[in-house]
Formats: sequence, C-alpha cells, structure tokens
Amino acid sequence: MHRGVGLAAFDKEQLSQRFANLSSELSKTQVDHLQSQLTQFRTALLHFATTHRDSIRSDPAFRHEFQQMCSSIGVDPLAGPRKGGWWAEMLGMGDWQYELGVQIVDVCVSTRERNGGVIEMGELIRIVSKLRGVESGVITEEDVTRSIKTLQPLGAGYEVLDVGGGKKMVRNVVKELDADQAVILAEAQVEGGRIAEAILENRRGWTRERARAALENMLLRDGLCWLDSQDEHYGRAYWVPSAMRWDE
Amino acid sequence: MALSTHTTPSGFLLPSIHSAPPFFTHQPNQSTHAHLTEQWMRLILTYARHKRLFILRVEDAEVPGGDWDKILRNERINRQIPPSYLSSLMAALVVKNLAVYELAKQTHAVLLHWHLPEEWAGVLHSWATATGQLNTILTFYEISDPPIPSPLSCILIPLLRRAITILSRSNRAQIIGVADGEGVRFFVG
Repeated sequence: MHRGVGLAAFDKEQLSQRFANLSSELSKTQVDHLQSQLTQFRTALLHFATTHRDSIRSDPAFRHEFQQMCSSIGVDPLAGPRKGGWWAEMLGMGDWQYELGVQIVDVCVSTRERNGGVIEMGELIRIVSKLRGVESGVITEEDVTRSIKTLQPLGAGYEVLDVGGGKKMVRNVVKELDADQAVILAEAQVEGGRIAEAILENRRGWTRERARAALENMLLRDGLCWLDSQDEHYGRAYWVPSAMRWDE
Repeated sequence: MALSTHTTPSGFLLPSIHSAPPFFTHQPNQSTHAHLTEQWMRLILTYARHKRLFILRVEDAEVPGGDWDKILRNERINRQIPPSYLSSLMAALVVKNLAVYELAKQTHAVLLHWHLPEEWAGVLHSWATATGQLNTILTFYEISDPPIPSPLSCILIPLLRRAITILSRSNRAQIIGVADGEGVRFFVG
C-alpha cells in the first residue's frame, strides 16, 4: 500500500526553511556588525599609530605607558602580521624592538672576549646608546629586557639576571650561573670589580674552600673573571670585567 | 674605581685596560689569556712606533725609568709585568712575525717589527728617491744617522740589512763593500 507525503510534512519543511533563512540573516547582521566594529577599530588604531608612532619610538616614558596598555588589554605589540597583529606593522614597534635586539647581540658578542659573556645592564645600555647615537635615557632597562625576550627563540642563552642590590646583568652565553656565582657578581659590583676569597668569607660567611672553589670555577672554567696576583691586600684577587667600569 | 685611559708625558695614549690590575698577571684561562695577549702585543707595537724603539728585552720589565717603563709598569695602580709574562708575550710576537729574536738561539731580546721588513724596504727606497740619492753609494751609517732626521733615523742595522735584501731581489738596491764596512747603492725601481 502506498501512502504519499502528507500535508503536515510539507508545512514542516517550509517552516524549517524559514527558520534557516532567519538564522542566516541574523548571523549575517552579526558578522556585518562585527566587521564594521573591526574596521572602526582598525581605523582608530591606524590613527593612534600615525599620531603616536614617533613618540613611541623616541619617548621612553610614553613607550612604557604604551607597553603597559598593551599588556593590560592582552595585545602583544610585537606579534607579527602572521599572528594577526597589525601593531607591529603599523607602529614599526617590532622593527624597533628587533633592531635593538640585534644591537644588543652585537655589543654582547663584541665584549664577550673581555667579560666572558656576562655584561652589566648599565654598561650594555651605555654602549647600545652610543651605537645608536642617542643620549642616555632614551633606551631603558625595560626596552632591553623586552628585546632580550624576543631573542629567546634563538636559544643563544640571553637572559637578564638580577644579582641583587638593584644591579642587573645580562648573560649572553649558554651557561648556567649557579647561586654562588650570582653572589660573587653582586659582591664584585660593590668593589668595582675586585673580589677575593676573604671578602666572601667576611661578608657572606662562606668557608674558604667554598669561596676558592667558586672563584676558581669562574676563573678557569668559565672565563668570567681575571686573575691579579699582585694585589696589595689579598695577594691573589679576582676581577670580574663585567663589574668593572670601563671609560672608553 | 673607573678604568680610564691615560696620556704619558710623551703624548702616548695608554688604553683603559692598562689601568686594570689583572692586565699585569699571566692569565690561567686560555681564552682570557689569548684576549689579553692580543691587547699587550698591540700596546707594545704602537708604543714602540711612538717612541721609535726597536728592541725589547726581558730585563726591561725590571728596569725602573727605562725606555719601556711607561707601559711595562703602571705606578698609578702599583702593578708591573713579571719578566716571565713579558717573555711569553715576546714569544707570541715572534710566532706572529711581529718580531724576531735579536740574536739566534737567544730568547731574551726581540727586534720589533712595528713596520714589517717589506714596509721598511718601501720606506727606504722612497727616502733614497726623495733625497736624490739614487745611484750613489751610501754607508749604513749614513742611512741610520742622516744629517737631516728621516723616517729611517736610528733604524737598526739588522733590520736595514733585511730591507736592502728585499730591495735587491727586485734589483732596486745592491750591497757594496766600502772601506769602513758595508754600503748600498739604490736604483730606480
């Protein structure tokens, strides 16, 4: 026996067709709306970029505020176009930061023979500023730290170390600094670069053996300090070139 | 303490590393040693050129007030280079052909090449040309102690001889025996 499709079925099909139309209409409106919002945002951004681009590049305080703003709204100003960020493109922020990174590498590599791969932050900033021909204060510690972060994927071991006393060092070799070496760097800062077993014994309460082992490792294994066997006071003193102040 | 450059009374600019106390110690770390040796060699040669010094002896490390005093010691930080370290620097200079041992089989003195012998040959020939002394016979003494000071004043005889030998290979000079020793005649090159 054959029963054809009933009238009810016909109604149902028409109904669902109408619903589908409505839904696509709704989502189209939504998409349009979003797209117009996006265009608006882009325009605003472009406006911001053209107005403030130079300030961001040249004014460290403004740059700091800008970075703060970006991080609070979860935007990475360095994300390239491929990651969907037009910031880098429009602001040239990425270029600026990468350029700085290249110069940091340049300075680190050219001073490595002298300092064994650890350079004091202030010294690094001073040389980079000189390289760029800008006055001191234009490039900040924050900028350098941020640039060094962009270098991380290279795996060259660039890292900012806090050695205490408000002093920071930039390590640029793939070498782990242990806790004792960090202490030595900090103490050497105080003495203008000079450090000796007795200093570590007196100020840090280290045993002579511990001080000797740490210093000899830095001297012989890592090349992070130089030996002075004519020291008037200690006889045998160690000098950390990255903690010495070079007027050149 | 800041490490700064310093100008000697004769007007030579000492690099800032010269005021770093460990600069005067032989470094046990290989790469540090290589780096500082490089700095020392450059310093020795530029100072030699500045003061027109040809000979460096191990003993110079221990002679206060000597020719080399200003660089081999730094009285401002009370440091001086130990003779053994100086001796190893001299060996490094010889390896790089920036110096030769003054006497064969002796390693306590070097003749410095702040100009290479080839460069001295050029200096010598242009001097002879400029002063119109081509084709005339000159004694070694007339070259090393000319009446008018020249770039060759005080040049040491062994170095002069090497320069002349280089010129004679291209027929621009010829060594000639003269009454009181040796002489040389220069030709248009």
